[in-house]
This record gives sequence, structure tokens and C-alpha cells, in this order.
Amino acid sequence: MDRRTFLFAGGSLAASIPLSGSWMARAQGEPIRIGLMAPLTGVVASGGREMVDGFQMYFAEKGGLIAGRPVEIIVEDDGANPDIALQKARRLVEQAKVHLLFGNLLANTGLAVANYVESTGTPYFIPIIAADDLTQRHRISNVIRVAGYSASHFPRPLADWALAQGWRKAATISQDYTFGHEQCGGFSQVFRAGGGEVIGQFWHPLNTSDFSSYLGQLAGLGVDVIFAMETGADATRFMQQYRDFGLKGNIPLIGAMNMTDQSVIRTMGDEVEGIVSAAHFAEGSTVPATQEFVARYEAAYKNLPSLYGFAMYSGAMWIDEALKSIDGDISDTGAFLAAVSKTELTGSPLGTAVKLDDYGNPIYDVVIRSLRKRPDGRFWNEPIAEYPAVSQFWTYDPEEYLRQPAFSRDYQG
Amino acid sequence: MTASLSSDSAAAAGDLSTSRVGKAATVSVLLGALVLAALPMVLPNYQVSVLTEVLIFAVLAMSIDMLAGYAGRTSLCHGAIFGTATYMTIWLAQDGSSIAVAMIAGVLMATMLAAVFGMLAIRTSGVYFLLLTLALGMVVWGICLRWTSVTGGENGLRGPGRPEFLNDHVSFYYVVFVCVALITLAMWRIVRSPFGLTMRGIRDSESRMQALGYNVPLHMFAAFTISGFFAGMAGALYAVFNNFVSPSAVALVLSVEGLLMTIVGGVGTLFGGFIGAAAIIALENVVSLYTERWQSVLGAVFIIIMIFAPDGVLGRLKDGFGKWTSRSSR
Amino acid sequence: MQDYFRLENVTVQFGALVAVDAVSMAIRSGERRAIIGPNGAGKTTLFNAMTGVVRPTQGRVLFDGNDISRAPVHKRSAMGISRTFQITNLFPRLSVAENVLLAMLGHTPRKFALATLPTLNPDEAERGAAALEMTGLGNRRHSVVTELSYGEQRQLELAMALATQPRILLLDEPAAGLSPRERVIVSDIIRALPRDLTLILIEHDMDIVMNLVDYITVLNNGKLLVEASPEKIKNNTDVQDVYLGRGGQDA
Repeated sequence: MDRRTFLFAGGSLAASIPLSGSWMARAQGEPIRIGLMAPLTGVVASGGREMVDGFQMYFAEKGGLIAGRPVEIIVEDDGANPDIALQKARRLVEQAKVHLLFGNLLANTGLAVANYVESTGTPYFIPIIAADDLTQRHRISNVIRVAGYSASHFPRPLADWALAQGWRKAATISQDYTFGHEQCGGFSQVFRAGGGEVIGQFWHPLNTSDFSSYLGQLAGLGVDVIFAMETGADATRFMQQYRDFGLKGNIPLIGAMNMTDQSVIRTMGDEVEGIVSAAHFAEGSTVPATQEFVARYEAAYKNLPSLYGFAMYSGAMWIDEALKSIDGDISDTGAFLAAVSKTELTGSPLGTAVKLDDYGNPIYDVVIRSLRKRPDGRFWNEPIAEYPAVSQFWTYDPEEYLRQPAFSRDYQG
Repeated sequence: MTASLSSDSAAAAGDLSTSRVGKAATVSVLLGALVLAALPMVLPNYQVSVLTEVLIFAVLAMSIDMLAGYAGRTSLCHGAIFGTATYMTIWLAQDGSSIAVAMIAGVLMATMLAAVFGMLAIRTSGVYFLLLTLALGMVVWGICLRWTSVTGGENGLRGPGRPEFLNDHVSFYYVVFVCVALITLAMWRIVRSPFGLTMRGIRDSESRMQALGYNVPLHMFAAFTISGFFAGMAGALYAVFNNFVSPSAVALVLSVEGLLMTIVGGVGTLFGGFIGAAAIIALENVVSLYTERWQSVLGAVFIIIMIFAPDGVLGRLKDGFGKWTSRSSR
Repeated sequence: MQDYFRLENVTVQFGALVAVDAVSMAIRSGERRAIIGPNGAGKTTLFNAMTGVVRPTQGRVLFDGNDISRAPVHKRSAMGISRTFQITNLFPRLSVAENVLLAMLGHTPRKFALATLPTLNPDEAERGAAALEMTGLGNRRHSVVTELSYGEQRQLELAMALATQPRILLLDEPAAGLSPRERVIVSDIIRALPRDLTLILIEHDMDIVMNLVDYITVLNNGKLLVEASPEKIKNNTDVQDVYLGRGGQDA
């Protein structure tokens, strides 16, 4: 194969990591080929690389084996572009003959690939792709969100927590695209239902460099709290300018988990302190399983793990566990997918058991996290509250919930 | 003198027509078609789908070449026209229209858009034409990105899948092959027609064309619309090929890529579109196996072509052949 | 029947500059007229007003009794007003034959044909061939324009203007930039034009002018200075002052 294929041969890459011997013993036969797609070029390339890191870390720890069979990972750059993602998915399925596909970061790349695998039946796992409808209104049986989340999933408990702080007036600001519309929709819907008021919603183009006009308007609304949904460089700039504009300390800032993710805050300083978000994972958690994972990841990559690394690591584990339950036999796709759906992931860095709901989205114990400074001066997300067993449908009846339209700029719950 | 003029008028008429196609050209085109027809029998499945893509993009490149090579106008909105057909096709198909109806509507929509753009752009030339078409293309991109309720925003639209009999790559390839062959033949006829000669005349001198009685804006409008019609055909085929559309199908990058294919193949050669599309899609596919920086490699290749074969690959081949047209083999 | 080409009080103004100032003239059918004057006298602007490249700021242009002041270039061309350009204006990447072909198709609806080859009917073919023969390009029809000498390019200008069978032909310095030998060729070509073809000529070469035309209009500073026969112009002192040079008998 080409040089970007990673074939893990018997523990060569992870000699220091203890292997579970019983699986080693059954290492035999044809490798299981996994097509891993991530944006390695383009605006979200850093996140894409962390996806690859997290995924490879898992198999490095397992000695390059999945359910006792060697694993071959073929990495492709989706260029953060749906047409390229589609082309790469085609190449992986039709030329490289992978058994399953994994990855993609941006929703549009994931949706393009999902649409393609709908016709081929190739199992496709999306720990990062958060587009609500892939586990809601437009489910595809062979597309499963192992170790992932839907976009509107976590902002709901965050809205509930905000109401519990006594905040009644909120405003949202977000990048103007579906991922933002869905997160803000989840927040607004729960916040309003709980008696709160969403006074203003601001949508700005991706790659906004100057937030002053938005911040000026936000400051004048007289709200109790601001919910922000930003990714990448926009997140960095927004949080910096929030401080520079004098809003930090005056209006509490809460946000989407991707805004306060390690991939964003790693290089930032005091301006991020105290920003609250909600997620399934918090690298600053005291749960032993999480601490061990963070330590191993730090040792391997010299960084605290981001959601990308964590989610891909957990996704890899999920598939490994599912395959073990069917003795590594991937030949029957239907049985394999059923095994994935049935798998209850117990060993993940979260330290708690995770399983999928009836719609293919995991149910998590969601933590409310606040950015705190570690003794070494770096910031991380520390849990300050917990909502057990939160489904993507929050407290609503799924059937009823799905009758409402998908979130958009125009529909916010 | 008078004798030769009156006695042999048929020969004179022949003499005044445009240069005829040389044997070498005919043989090359037939050979190329034969290779394209035979390739799916030897290529693995995935490569067949790549080859399908090459054919579709060759049509886009040729539609750009119609304007750039024959009418002397370099368009940066043909990607948007192409993608408009893709959007329309998918949008109708996901709503339950038959794929044929959806494609025809897509082509019509693209043609109408081209007609509107044509009306706005035809009075400009050179860098103004370039910038105006760029801006028009960006408008389409902006609409596709923002009009979420119809276009699905940046997530795009997912199609219903190809009809059953087109599901395997090889049969789909042959359907596209036949379509593209017919489209190419039509374009070939057009650039060789009086209308094609008119476009070349406008490219060389607009003021002279006017003095000769040509309504230059009207001809440019027709040329732009016809070119958009073909770009739309490529877009409709692309819709069936990809079964998915997102704003990247109307993005500037696509217009630039199409133009690049035209330039690499050879501006004003028409068939160069096939060479350009093949070269660039092959580069994307092969180079991206080895490096994430395939776009840089693409840039470097483009620069090399600009330096060593400014007339494009086919232009270079033609020069090398020398005896391409009857003009030189007279 | 008399074809009249008439200018009535034609003024062409570019901003503050009055390039053509209230010029009136009448040209008879079959007449050969020269427009002369020093550089900047407004000769080419007047041509442009006649052919429609510029619209007169004031005044009217009439052709065969019709007011064509606002008709665009291609419409005037279709009426039979044909011109050559002072600065060679051909289709440099096309062959001589294709240049003539374009000239001849310009007045036929076949120029819009999409699916046929550009061909001519026998009548047209004969006319095209005749135009090429007349201008001495009969054996150059397959050459690309850029392969022609400058003189041959000027000849092609004439051939294209002639091939359309114009009712009136406007020649803008047909001999500009030519060698003495080439000038003779060009003036021979012009002299050999059918006698019934109305001709308007801008030219600096007085030998050509004096030998070719019936009547001369002299422009100066955009204004009509004098209109008269060549002999009278030769002896007109005003003209000598502004154009031929003080005291000069033969320029």
C-alpha cells in the first residue's frame, strides 16, 4: 500500500503498552481494513490531525489488533470539502476495499459520505459528525454515531443549568451554519421552555476576525448570560475579544463544548478562565479512567486530549468491543452493525457505561464544565455539575420531538 | 482571372471555407474515443468512477473553452452555472421527480442563469469580464450557502440515488460516455459553424465585427448562454454521478479548476478539455495518496505547463505535429 | 435613383473638446469624395459619426433618405455602409479566407447557424474570390493574417470592405504606413473599383487624393473649411495655409 497506510504489526508501535494477551493469541488471518477520513488540510486541519492521533493511539495500545485480528488503517484527507470527502470515500470502499469507514469532521463532509454509503452498505462510524438528523430524521442504518453526539444534545443540559443559576435573559452568538443553528436551537428551546427568554440571536459568517459590532450589541441587551457557539480560530478570537471588550466578568459566558475544547484553548491564557460548557467528556475530571487516559495521551502527544482525540479513541474502542462480541467476524455486515448497536461501552475514558439510544446516538452522563487553571498554568475543563443519562431528546418524547422541524436560522425551537 | 472566378465557383466556395480537419486530427479523436470506450473493460471499479468524473469535467472544461478559446472571454462563473444544474437536479430528484426530468430542469435552470449572467457580462472583456463573472459566481455560492430551506445550506442536499440500472459503475460510465460523446460532437459542430467563426472574429476584433454588420453583444449573449447550457449538462451529469450537492459545487474553486483544465489541455482546442480534466483529476487522485499537499503539487504542475507549454498540452501536441489542419497540408 | 449620404450640422463633442463642429455635407450616389485636413482636424471622428461608432452630439446623419443618426454600427453596415480602418483592424488569428468569409456572412442570417460549416453560395463565393483577386490576395487565401506583410494586410482591409458589396465605401487612410511601391498598388486597387460605388476617402497622400476623387472636403479644427474640386483645392490659399503648407504648390 502507499505510505499513508498504517499497518500495525504485532505491537511494534506500542511496546511499552501492556497488551491483553488473550486477544493477541487469536491474531490471525486477513487484517481488518479501516478507512479513516479526516480534514488534514484546510481550515480545520488541526482538529483533523487530532482525530487521527486519537484513533491511532487506541490501536497502538492494543498492539495493532482489533478483536484479535490485525488492523490496517488507511488515512485519507477529506480536505474539509464534501466533494473531496465523497471521492475519498469512494476510493476507500471501491479500491482499498475497506471493511468500514470512520471519521470526517465537518458535517457537510459527513453527510456526503453518509449519502454514499447508504448505497454501498459500508458501515460508517461518525464520532465527530454531529449533524442532528443523522440520528434523528434521516437515519441511515449503516451510519452509526459511536462515541459521538448530536449537535443539539449538550446545549440542552447547559440551558437547564443556566436557568438553575437564576439567569432568565440570554442571548446567543454563533457561526452561521447548521452546526451552530442546531446547538443554539438546543439551548434556546430548553431555556425558553424553562421560563427563560432569549432576547437576541446573532449569526456571523465563518472566519470573522472582528467581533466588535456583535459584542457591542450583546453588551447593550442587558442579558444575564451569553451562549456562544464558535469553532477553531473564530473561538479563539471571540473569547479574546470578549475579554478585550470588557464583557468578561460582567456577563457570564457559556458556550458550546467545541469553543472551550483543548484544540482551541491550548494556546490561550486567562481570558478563557471560568467559561462554562457542557459535554460528555472533561479532561479535568477526577474520574480515574479519564485521568489515566489524559495521562497516556499527554505522554504520547505532549498535549491534553481534545474532544476529537477522545471521541476517535472511544469510537475505535467501541468497534473493537463490538467485533470481539462476534469473534472478529466482520463478513456479515448486518450482524456487525447489530453488534455495534448492542454494545455497551464500559471501558471508555469516561469511566461510565455508554450505550446507544434507539436512534443510534449515545446516551451520556453530561457534565457541566468550567475552565480552570491547572498548577502548571494550563487551562482545562473541570466538571462542576452532572446530568446523568441525557439522551439527544432531552426530556421530550422522541416521536413527538421528531415532528418538529430541524433547527435552522429560522427555527430555534 | 475572370475565367477562374466564374468557371469554378464551387471550388472557390470550398476555398473560402474554414480549414478542414486533417487526417491526423480525425485519427487522434477516433483513437481517443476508442480508448475511452475500452478502458472500463480493463480498469478496476474505482478507476471507472474516476474516469466518469473525467468525462463530466471535460464537458465543463470544454464549455469554458468555448468562451475562453473561441470568444476570448475567460469566465470565472462556469462552476456556479455547472453547480446550479447540479442543485436543481438533486433538488427535484429528492422531491420525487424522475431523474431525466430533474436533469432537463437542471440544464434549463443553468441555461437561464447563464442567459442572465450573459446579459450582465457580455459588454465587458478582459479583466473586467473576469472580475464580473467572478462576482456573479460568488453570488450563486452565497445564495446556495444561505438559502438553507431550499439548498440545505453548507450541508447541501442528498439525492435519492441512481436508478437501479445505473448503479454499477460500468453501466453508468457508458451512459455518461454516450452523453458526453453527443455533447462533444455538438460543441465541435458549433465551434466549426458560422457561429463559431463569429466567436473567433469577436475574439480577434469586436470593432471590425461591428463594422461588418455583426451585432456583437447579441452574439456574445448567445455564446455565453450556449456555453452555460453545456456547463449545465455537465452539472446535471455530476448530480447523478455524486448523488449529492453542496456549496462546493458552485464554489469559485470549481470555476478555477475548470479553467485550469481548459488551460492545461489547451485553450481554443476544445478536445484539450479531456486532456486537462484527465490530468488534473489524475493528479488529485494520485498525488493525494502520497502527500496532503497535493494542491501545492497541482500548483507546481500548472506553473510548469505555463512555462513549457503555454498553449496547453494539446496545443503543444498540435504544434509538434505541424500537419494538423489542411491549412498546413495544403 | 440617387443615393445620398448627407450630414446635417453634425457636431461631435467629447467633454469640452469639440472634435467635429457643425459639419454639413452631401455626397451623391457614385461620387468619389476625399476628406482631407491636418492631424486633429476631426476626419476620423467624422468617419466614426458616419459609421455609427460615435453618435453625433447634435445634427443628423442621413443615408438614402433615412435618418441613421442613432443606428448602431452593425445596422448601418447592413444598410450597405462599409469601411476600412486607419489602423489595420483584421482578425489576426484567422486566415485570409476566413476574414473574407466573416465579412460576407455578416449580412446573411446564416451567421447564426450552429450546426453547419461556414460556406458560401456560388454567388457569394464568386464575389469573395473576386474581391480577393481584385486586391491581389487571390493566392494568399489560406495564409493566417499574421503571416501577411503590412501591405497585404491593408489590401485585405479593402478586400473585406469590397466583398460585402457595399453601397458606400469609407476608406480611412488606406495607404497609411505603406511603402511607395505598395501605395501604387493600393491606389490602383481603388481606381479599379466599380465607378458606381460611392466612395469617401480620408488620405494624407495628395497624389492619391488628386488622382482618385471628384470632390474634396477640407476640415480644419473640426470645422468645414472648404469644399471644391481637386484643382480648385490645389489653388485655394486657405487650404494651402492650413494644410499644404504656405506657398507649397505640390505637397
